[in-house]
This record gives sequence, structure tokens and C-alpha cells, in this order.
Amino acid sequence: MANDREVLREIWDGKLPICFQLDQEEIMEIQQPDPFYVMVPRLSYFPLVTDKMKRHFLRYISQENADSEMWLDYNGQPLKWHYPIGFLYDLYCGSDSQLPWTLTVHFTKFPETILLRCPNKDVVEAHFMSTIKEADVLKHRGQVMSTMQKKDHNQLWLGLQNDKFDQFWAINRRLMESHGENEGFKHVPIRVYSDDGTCNQRLVSPKNNDGSRKVLQQLISELFPDKIEVKLRTHGIMIPPDTPLQWLSEHMSYPDNFLHLCVC
Amino acid sequence: MNSWCAIAPLHKDPTQEPFIDVNIGGNQIPYASRGTLAVWAITAHGRVMYRTGVSTSSPEGQKWINVSIPPNCDIKQISVGPTGLVWALLWTGRAIIRKGVTKDCPTGEAWLEVKSPPETKLSVLSVGVNVVWAVSTDTRVWFRKGIDGNSAGNSEIAAMGTGWLEINGNMVHVSVGINDQVFAIGESNKNVYWRSGITPAELTGKRWRMVQANMQLSRTSSTASIISSASNPKHHSLTMLTESNTSELKSNINLHSSWEESHSAPIENTLPIKSARESRAKKSNNVETIDLTGKSYETTLKNPRAWSPVRSVGSVVGMEAQPDSDSSVFDTDSGMFFDDEVSQTAWGTCDTSWAFVEAGGCSVDTVQVPHWFSDSQNAFNSDITAKWRFSILESLKSRNNVDVDLSRYGLAIEEKGWTRSSEARLVNSNNSSEDCIISLYWHATENTGTLSVFQPDGTIKFILNLGEISSVTTCSEPGNPRISLVVPNQSKDVIKIQYMTEMEQEEWMNVLVDITSQIHGLSGRPSNNSVWAVTSSGDILNWDPLPARLNCEENGRYTKEFQVFGKNMTSGFSTALHNNFTPGCILKMSGCLFDDVTRFHINLQGPEVKKQRHKIETEVTEIPFHFNVRFDENTVVCNTKVSGNWGAEERHKLPLAKGQEFSMKIVSEIKGFTVVINDEKYCSYKHRISPETITSVLVQGQLRLYTMEYSSTSVIIGPDEMFWRMMGGYLRKVECSQNGFVWGISNDHRAWVYTGGWGGGILKGIGGNEAIHAMTDTQTYCVYENQRWNPLSGYTSTGLPTDRYMWSDITGKLKRTREHTKLLNRHWHWVSEWMVDYNTPGGVDNEGWQYATDFPAPYHGKKIFTDCVRRRRWYRKAQINTEGPWVRAGNTGLLDISISTNGKETSVWAVTIGGDAIYRTGVTPTTPAGAHWEHVNSPQALLAISTCNNIIWTVGRKGELYYRQGISEENPGGSDWKLIEAPKCGFTYGQKGSIGAKAISLTKTSAWVLLTNGAIAVRTGISKEQQDGKQWKFISDCEQSFKHVSSIDREIWAVRSDGVLQRRLGVTAENPAGTTWQMVLPANFIHVSARGGCFA
Repeated sequence: MANDREVLREIWDGKLPICFQLDQEEIMEIQQPDPFYVMVPRLSYFPLVTDKMKRHFLRYISQENADSEMWLDYNGQPLKWHYPIGFLYDLYCGSDSQLPWTLTVHFTKFPETILLRCPNKDVVEAHFMSTIKEADVLKHRGQVMSTMQKKDHNQLWLGLQNDKFDQFWAINRRLMESHGENEGFKHVPIRVYSDDGTCNQRLVSPKNNDGSRKVLQQLISELFPDKIEVKLRTHGIMIPPDTPLQWLSEHMSYPDNFLHLCVC
Repeated sequence: MNSWCAIAPLHKDPTQEPFIDVNIGGNQIPYASRGTLAVWAITAHGRVMYRTGVSTSSPEGQKWINVSIPPNCDIKQISVGPTGLVWALLWTGRAIIRKGVTKDCPTGEAWLEVKSPPETKLSVLSVGVNVVWAVSTDTRVWFRKGIDGNSAGNSEIAAMGTGWLEINGNMVHVSVGINDQVFAIGESNKNVYWRSGITPAELTGKRWRMVQANMQLSRTSSTASIISSASNPKHHSLTMLTESNTSELKSNINLHSSWEESHSAPIENTLPIKSARESRAKKSNNVETIDLTGKSYETTLKNPRAWSPVRSVGSVVGMEAQPDSDSSVFDTDSGMFFDDEVSQTAWGTCDTSWAFVEAGGCSVDTVQVPHWFSDSQNAFNSDITAKWRFSILESLKSRNNVDVDLSRYGLAIEEKGWTRSSEARLVNSNNSSEDCIISLYWHATENTGTLSVFQPDGTIKFILNLGEISSVTTCSEPGNPRISLVVPNQSKDVIKIQYMTEMEQEEWMNVLVDITSQIHGLSGRPSNNSVWAVTSSGDILNWDPLPARLNCEENGRYTKEFQVFGKNMTSGFSTALHNNFTPGCILKMSGCLFDDVTRFHINLQGPEVKKQRHKIETEVTEIPFHFNVRFDENTVVCNTKVSGNWGAEERHKLPLAKGQEFSMKIVSEIKGFTVVINDEKYCSYKHRISPETITSVLVQGQLRLYTMEYSSTSVIIGPDEMFWRMMGGYLRKVECSQNGFVWGISNDHRAWVYTGGWGGGILKGIGGNEAIHAMTDTQTYCVYENQRWNPLSGYTSTGLPTDRYMWSDITGKLKRTREHTKLLNRHWHWVSEWMVDYNTPGGVDNEGWQYATDFPAPYHGKKIFTDCVRRRRWYRKAQINTEGPWVRAGNTGLLDISISTNGKETSVWAVTIGGDAIYRTGVTPTTPAGAHWEHVNSPQALLAISTCNNIIWTVGRKGELYYRQGISEENPGGSDWKLIEAPKCGFTYGQKGSIGAKAISLTKTSAWVLLTNGAIAVRTGISKEQQDGKQWKFISDCEQSFKHVSSIDREIWAVRSDGVLQRRLGVTAENPAGTTWQMVLPANFIHVSARGGCFA
């Protein structure tokens, strides 16, 4: 059970200072727009936190582009909105942290081949919920999500959207419980990303064959048998290699119930 | 079944060849007739004996027959599986098995040797159906693969298995139950473990889980030895023997359900003592570790009459109660029946190192494992202190240390209020309830919120401002999860809300406590001057005067404004002056007189006192200052009313005109009152009685007030402004002292010290997880079985039509059955079955019955000719697992504790469950739990204790009072006890003679004593020189009875017997008994400690 509230709260409260700048090519006014500074929760998604920023820049761009979909890049690398913000930061700036995180805002030239379209927040919600469901299938064969009511699903989403820890965890707690006589999940929902952004997702059991708890180091040696000294980062911190996977999954998963770990 | 039957020894002299081990199995021998059992035993000469004719209907069997063994085999232990398979262990550490045990040949055919695990010797082995488990001398655990119990009689391979498999974990003992479930004793911590996850498919199971196995011991029989056990060389044998009792008990309970009653005749036994030793030997097969003195067996046995074979030779007269007609009747009054008094005084617990476990006939339901088999708490605790966790937390926290000026960064997500609603039921005072919808709205940044209660059709019932809630507590009944809210400004009654599920109730509880605490700016450790209180649900509440004190301070003065605008003064407006009207207090008013005003008056008055004339009415008898402006007489009259009689008037000329606006100020000075009208001094009035007796102000007449303001040199807090924060944990008593030491006692009498944290249990990690620890507590539930004698059928459970319920509470007025006794919530679980209490006060016979001539009458343990009724007490224990900001302090069980600080010194005195006085050494602010207990001899068993200013008073078990003489810095334990004159009861209670005390609380100059009848007496005139005080005073203004009283200086707080928390008003140096009680909080309290000195 995820009962270490102190860690949960610390992770929930993680925020990143971000400086948004409008792409020079898109500025149609003589006056240069001010950069837009904002503190963004690490656990959130860009479409949920960029409404104000978008309004701020709209009057500087050509009106014909005003309705087209906005997208962001960091150092020329388009940012995928369907990943949590904190994970994107860890992926691109984890090793050489520079705050504020300066991102460029675009309204034209949507990189269709790289990014998914995101016309509205419902798309984010659908994506978020489907990821939680996938995680629950891995953890409990999908039994928890299927027994929840629609309003519970809604509360998860609203909790994340409105940055309400208690609201979110009141429901998420149930997803983090172990079921049956098994102590621990069936599998740990985990995705490990290399620095080039390629993702590695495997079936990982939180326990060894003898019933003892599997720790992160064991996973690392399974995933990277030929490398030595692999470190994994999430939520902006290095995870000690002796952390049990079960605990890690319960406490350090993103709201989508997945552990998103970056190799560094 | 619940009795012993001695088996005749092998020889006339039982010491010639005693038994050293015995084992029972064979209840599932293939094709054998139902009820067949196999009993194998080992004698001290190494002979193997088989008992013939043992079955469930004849458990004692017929005779021993010798089974020959191979030469050079000295057998140490024998184990029989349910299918009759026999394994024996040799002293050399090797194992042999008996081949060919079948229904036709129960003693088998021949012995076969089994190879031991490599390079080790076995020390214990145990046979199950399809398994054999063993422990080797190096504490490793072994599992024998390939055993098939059902074909073991015909196949050597099935009996021998194929090989040893090592199981992780280090154990010193192992035992297999009838369905192959395995119990073991851990090597390092000597705890009892159970192997989880054992299924027919996976016989090795998954992991060892610690079983919560706290020992409960009755004070009446054996606490003396527990308390002294640390220094007692027999300690080992004590725990050993009590433990074997418990395991025996376990198997007995199981046997009740599956065995038929014995039909065989009892066997005469001439040598009962020897057989006691025999049964003891059976229990203790690892003989080398145990000190087996017959003496300790006799003295430490929990209940000799129940368990020793001495008195109950062969007789198995129904100990089990007959199934009662009660169980078929639906009982609406069922519920939580724990007997407070029993929980209070009779039971204690001790931590035990286990040495032996016997699964016997214990069949564990693996699908639904009992709660107490769970050790999830332990796993959680180890994570919380793990290094990697600290490393993670540390790095998470350091993420915030960035070199960026964050001031220009806006928040991405706007703070919005949120709402939460739920269907619930509103519980009325008569326990009926109605459906409603409750909805909580909370805005964190504005720090405001409301709780709305709607009717099912959506119409508003009422709306509460969350800031006005003064306490949130649980008030659940079994199956009905409830919370109660006290909102003094909104309603006099407690608002009780019942939720659909426990989870929902806990979530709401958590949210409400969190929000209301935020509103009041409370978190973490409360200040030292807090008042602590405990409710009957074990909730611990704390009121901290500090925030209120900081909030309204201005130049060392505290001001409180009263809402007077628009109030009708013609019929009188009265409001309480919480700090009385001591010198330094000021009352300011501004207002306007009506044009037709004839008279108005301002009374600074004492409390209303109940008077009984032809009917009960209330009256103010003390008015220290009466200021009466009389336009009709053209004068102002000042006067004082003492004991209902007016004194001499002082008259002044009229300062005001009709219809005039005015301002007025009454200042209390050392000599008297000064009245200032329209900023000019108008008159002075000398005190005739102390202004400290003033508790309220009354304004009455034809005028309108704009403002009224009361200011004082000390903080002004009325009960409606006190917010009681739930602190977490589960306790029976909490005692605090002026410099922040807080100790608690749980229902099982263990002592706890407050760690400074906040949260745990249903509050979860409300204030961070630091300083939150696992807690357990045990409560005893009691029901009484009543029977009436009938000339034809003897005692039966058929009473007279007028009789009490045949299953009842102690009074007989309430129906209580064992079947309908339920646990309060999911955090509780049973840790015992229903058992007959052989320690019921008054004495019992062999079967726990107490006799009397009729209900209700004094009960005695021995039946005499005139006895027509009998009763016996059944008890069952329940345990709660929770967390809270408390840690254990010492292992001694306590009844009462008192803490007092005198400058830098802190003394902690307590009474143990054995009734001894002890004090704690080494209690300092850095080590609040102290070092160890020092024992102080006392002539009588004690019940309660209180200390203040190095004076110590205690209450003896008969209600007598003592004080301790000769306490000094060098001799903190003092020299001897002196008896104090007993309080003589006044006319109020209509009883003659003295009434015993049951609790006390000392202040520097007085002692507040709670008497056994619930009345409170005050001993005044206590000083260092006269430690027993001078005189008794009785609180005569009310006929309320109380549960508890706590006092410090002039603060007296008490819990009324209906659970209402009260505070004594008007306590002064001249009137140490005070004048009246003020209601503080109407919740179900059982204990309060104001010894932090809330207004000091």
C-alpha cells in the first residue's frame, strides 16, 4: 500500500519553473512579446497548464494561425504532450539541469510525424485514463479499474487537473493496493527510456522467484546485462539501486500509474 | 472437553519411566473409521509407546503398547501426521520413520532411516498430511519433498519422501497443523511465525509472517510474577508454561467443534501431581532449555482450577454452554459490549519470548487468514526507516533548492475551492436517523469552507461554517460508522453523521480534521499548556490555548468583543466573562438610552445556581456589583448581593439623560470598581466580595447597546472558541504536565509517551510520518450467562418470566449474547475465543459459576443450599491495530499515572496493575520516556495516584487515601505512606459514613478527589508543611456525578458521567472549591488532563 504520505506529497508538490518564448518566426507584431514565466507541476501535462500562456502569446501571432494547434519544443526537439512534464524535463535536461526550463512556443508547422494531435483536453483525459487502465491490467489484471465507478475515474482526472492531492489519492490509493494473498502487484507498470527517447517496456515482477522483494538494481541488470553502472532518474532524482520495485511503483509512479524512468 | 483427564503412568512409581514426548495424529488415516486417532509417546528410557483404543469418543484410550525400535536408536521426539505417518527424531539428530502404518496395522511394520540434510543435525520435526518440516540445530528450516500421506502406509517412497529442501528463514521450532499449515518460532526474536501461501499446489508456501501473539495475563493470579520477572530466575519457565497453556487452549477450542462428547467412564487417578508433570513434559520437548520446577508451575499457572488435572480427574462435565435459544432471536441491542471496569482493572499484557509452538488440531483457513496473522505493519515500518527511503526523500526535498527567483512565476493551476459530497444519514438524539446528502466546500487559499447538509430532495437542512466546528470525533457503533461534530454556535446538540461505509467515514474524518485544523492554524506538536482529553472511542483530543492567545494579544491585554448590536436588552442580555473580573479587567460599552427609559441595570454577577424549592429553578445568588440607573427615582444605586441577600445601597446622582447616547467603562481594580461614564470618572465602589466570583455580565433595561468589549490581562477563551484537534492513536488515558510531557495508558495498561507528531490511524499521514508509530491495544468484552435452579432439571437457562435475560450485561438489564457481540470497526479483530472468566470478583466454582439466592444479590463461589440462581462471566478479547504519535515506555503495566514539574525537575509517578506505586527516573525534556521505574513499597494495593509540587497522594483499592512522606531530592521515593482522613459525605448524597475515593488530582494547595459514587470532594489547605490538607469540602451546587477530574492551579476540568467535559468556574484562593461548572464540550469523554495548565 502506498502509505508513505510524506514521499507522495513531496512528489506531488514537485514543480518546475518554465520560461515560454514565442518562436521568432511567428511574431507578427513589432513589439517583442515578454517571455511567459510559470511554475508547472511536474506531474501534469502541457495541455493542462498552457491555457494562460497561449492567451498571452495569441495577440503577437498572425490571426490566421490563432486557431491552429500550439506545440512546444526544447532545443529544436518537439515535446510530446502525452508525457508528464517532469518526465520530459528529466529526459531532455535531467543530466544537465538548467532552470528555468526555456521552451519555444509554435503555432505553425505542426510536426505531424513526431507529435500526436491534441485538439482539446478530452484527448488528454482519454490518453491518461487509458494509461491508468493499462497499468491496472499489469498490476491487478485490470480488476480495480473495472470495479470503479465513473465518478471515481472522474475524480482521478479532476484531482490531477486541479492539482488536488487528496482528491486524487483518495481514489488512486485503491489502485496502489495489493490484492489477494499476493503481497505486491502482478507486474510493475514501468517504462525505461534511453536518452534518445526510445522506450523499453517489459513485464517486470516486483518479486524474485523466492518471494523476496526485487530491488531496482536487479531490474537494471536484467535490462542492461552488458552495461555497468546504469543509473535511473525520475522526478528529478536518482533512485537508490536498493529501492524495492514494489515500493517504487506504489510511491513514485506518475499519476498515470506508470514508473517513467530515464537512463542517465 | 475443557478439562484434564489424567492417564495412568506406566509403572506404579511414575518416576520410574516418565514420558518425555507425546504426539497425536491419525485423524485422517485412509479408510479408518471416523474418529480414529493415533497417539505415540516416548519414555525417558527411549521406548516408543503406542496408545491403543484412542478415538474422539474415547480420547484417553485403553493402554500403552511398546513398539520396538532398532538398536542404537535413542529417540527424542516423535511426530504423527494426520494420515498416521510417524517420524521420530533421534538424539543424534537423525530421523527414522515407521513404515506400513495403515488402519489395520496402526503401529506399523518396521523402522526406516532417513538421511538427514547434509552436514547438519535435526532438532525438531513435524509431520503433516503431505509434508514433513524440520528444523536443524543450526536453526535452518527444512522441507521434505515427495511425501504423500495417503499412500504412506503402502509405499516407502511416499512415506520417506525424496529429499530435503531448505526454506529461507531461521527458526528454532516448527509445527505443522492438520491442513499442512506451518507455525514456527523465530530464532532471533523468538516470535511466532506462520508460513503464508501454503496451498496443496505449493506446499512450501511463500513467506514467514509474524503472528501478533501478545500474552494477556490476569492480574489477579499472576501479575506479581510478571512485574518481577526481569529479575526472576524462573522467568523462563513462566513464559514457557503459560505459552504451552495457550497452545493447548487453541487445540482444545478446535476440538470442541469436531469431537463428539466422551462416553467413557472417568479413570480413577491416584497420583495426580505426577501426571501434571507428565503433561508438562509433553509440552516441553526441548527439555534442555527449560527450568522445570514444579513450584513455578503451580504458582504461575493462569488458572489452576481450569487447567490442572488435579481437580478434574476424568470428569468432562459440559464446560461448553448449551446452545441457547437467544442466538436464534434477532437481537437489536447487540453491539460493543466491552466492560470498561474489567478492561480497566483486571488485565494486563506482557511481551513474550516464545519457545514452543504446537499447531495441534489448529486448522487455519488460508483463504481468510485471521487479522492477527498479519504483520504488514512490520513491513511498513522497515521501509520507513530504510536508507534508500531517506535518500529518496532527501533528494526530493532538495529539488526545491534552485537558484531561480521564483517571484515572477505565476501558478499554472489556479487555486480553486473544491467540494466533496456524499450520501449519509443524520442521526438524531433518539438514535433514529434520516437520509441526507452532505457536501463539503473548501477553499484552501481563503482558508474558509462550509459543510452543507441537504435533504434527499435537495432542500437545505442546514449549513455549517467549518470554522465554527469545535471538535470532530468518531462515535461509531458496530456496523454504523459515524462521526460527530460539535458546533456550539449552531446547535446545542452534537451533530452525528452516519456513513454508508467505514472507508467513507474514515476519509471524511481525515478530511474534516485536516481542514478544521488548517482553519485554526494547527499542525504538529501542540504547546505545553494544552488540555488533553480522551473519548470513549479512544480518540485523543487536544485543545491548545496558544494560537488563541497569540491571536488576540495587544499590549499584554486580551480583548474580546461581544456581538450586542440589535440585541433586545429589555428582557436582559447576559454573556459569560470567561476570565472572571479580576483586578485589571475592563468592560467597555457604548449605546443609547430609549426616550422612555425608566430604569436599567448592569450586573457583574456569579453563576446561576440550581435551587430546589417547590420545583427546581436557577437563581443568581452572588452579584458582586449591581449598577442600577433609576430615572424614576432620579438616582443610581450600587449594591452587592451575597448569598441571595442585598447589602447596603450606595447612591449617586444621575449621570445620564433619557434618550442620550453614552459610553461606559467598568474597571476592576485591587480595591474596588471604578465606573467611567462618557470618559469621565463617575464613581468608585469598594469590593465587598471578591471580583473573582464574577462569571458573567447582565445588562437589562430600556436601552440599546452598540458595542460591548471585555478585556483582561490573561487570554480570554470561551468554550465555544476552543477547537479540539484529534491527535491520532488509541488510548484510555492521557496525562500531561506543564512542560510538555505527555504520557498515555492504553486499555491493556501499557504506557506510551507522546512523540510530538500528529496523525496515524485514520488520520493517515496528516502531519507527516515522522514520529508516527504502530500501536496496538486490547479490550475485553464481557457477557454474563445467568441460570436459575429448577427442582426437576437443576440449573437451566430457563428463567422465570420476570428474570433477567439469560445472557446479559453485569446489571442484567441489557441483553448481551456472545454471538451478537460485534467489533467496532475493521481495525479491531478478536484475539481470543469466548472463555469463562475464573477470576470474576466474588469467587467462582470449577466451572466459573457464582451463586446467589436471587438476582441481583451478592454472588459467591460456592454453591449452598439456598442458592437458586447462578451466573458466570464470559470474556473475549479484541485487539486494535492502529498508528499514532506515541511510543511505548517501559514494559510495566500501569493503572494510573501522574506527572508534575517543579521548576526543572519532572516527576512521573504511576500505579502498576499489581497496585504498586512506582516512579520513573531520568525523565528530561530530551528523554521524555525516562530510563526505568523505581519501585516504592506500599501497604495496600493502590488504584490511582497524583503528584504535584513533590506531594504525592494515592488511592488504595478500598478507596482510602494516602500521602507519601519524606520525599526529597536525595530520596525521591519518599519514606512511608500516611493515611489521610476520609472524606465524610455530606447530606447531599444521603449516605452515612465515608465513601471511598477512586481518582485524585492534586494542585499545589488542594486535592480534587473523585469518590466511588461519582461525587467530587475537595481537600483544601494542602501545603508542603501539611501535605494531607486541612479540610474536606463538597461541591454542593450540583448533583451531577463524574468519571474523572483533573486539576492544576485554578484550572479544574472534569468529565461528567454522561461524557460531557466541564470546567470549574469561580475557583479562587478563598473559594478553592469554585462556584459552578461550565460545559465545555458535549462529547463522550472518559478522561481529561488539564495539567498542562492551560491558562498559566
